[in-house]
Amino acid sequence: MSSKSQAAQAGQALWSKMPKANAELFALTYGSLVTELVRDYEDPIEVNAQLDRIGHSIGVRCVDEFLSKADVAGMGLATQCQNLRDTAEVVSKIGFKMFLGIQAEVGGFSHDQRSFSIYLQDNPLSTFVELPPGDEQSGGDDLRKLKYSNLYCGVIRGALEQVNLKVECSIVRDTLKGDELNEIRVNLKEVLADGAGDDYKEE
Amino acid sequence: MSTPVLFVIVGKNEPLFEAEIDTHSSIGAPGQNDLSTRQNYFVLHSALDLVEKSAFTTNSMYLRVVDKVNHQQVSTFLTAANVKFMLLHGGKGEEVVKNFFNEVYGYYVKLSMNPFYKYDTPITSKAFEARVRAAARAYLS
Repeated sequence: MSSKSQAAQAGQALWSKMPKANAELFALTYGSLVTELVRDYEDPIEVNAQLDRIGHSIGVRCVDEFLSKADVAGMGLATQCQNLRDTAEVVSKIGFKMFLGIQAEVGGFSHDQRSFSIYLQDNPLSTFVELPPGDEQSGGDDLRKLKYSNLYCGVIRGALEQVNLKVECSIVRDTLKGDELNEIRVNLKEVLADGAGDDYKEE
Repeated sequence: MSTPVLFVIVGKNEPLFEAEIDTHSSIGAPGQNDLSTRQNYFVLHSALDLVEKSAFTTNSMYLRVVDKVNHQQVSTFLTAANVKFMLLHGGKGEEVVKNFFNEVYGYYVKLSMNPFYKYDTPITSKAFEARVRAAARAYLS
């Protein structure tokens, strides 16, 4: 239990040191990105995949920044996460807090401890956003299939990939679609062996 | 007694939003007969030219009453982007109408921040319509 409050404190401390951006500018920029993607690709499934790809690139860079800042601050994170539960705590309490300033909760651990959920009460990306009601042109519920915040899934996937955890993320609940909170489901696929070893193996 | 008010938002080329609001009934749905509804729309649209005229006379966004027909008046509010909010009513106070317009302006700005709403297109959001009707009931009854 103490590690949870430690993580929360660490998250808060790191957040206060990060340079800040205007929340509205951030939300509007992301909104324009999504609408441009929708206009270019037209198929919401394809847009989801693109957002995931973009998120992946972001995540890969985020994890480096996180590890360097956390170490410098000496937050006691020099000890590695022992299991998926610790990883989940770090991602939600420190990761989300540090980069977005929001409170994220973890829960929904599966029996085999290989999946968990991250719950977001408010989502800074979707301020002002309202999904348009179904248009007649492309058949009813076109943009209902769009996962507006799919960027998060890519970020988590990219970040954990860099620390050798191959995961699959998806958004299962979305406030834009009428649910009370946003839920991201994370499934651990496999723990990768350290890739760098292969290149340096002697013949 | 319960003359409904007609609220229209007009963009560059076409009306973007229309709502006939019966301020005295509990449901917001229009219950007017067709003839007077059509008349109301006609009066409101013919007032558009007068809006252009009075826009040059004042610095503020609220243009007060631009036209009077029989016992009805048309009040207009001009947003910074030349979108016109027009209200056809049977003689409500100027302050009351101004407050209503300001509230709707706030909702309109929030709507235009929605990345999926393209500027100067018809407004289809149900949430916006509900808010406008609630504001009308609050300010104009």
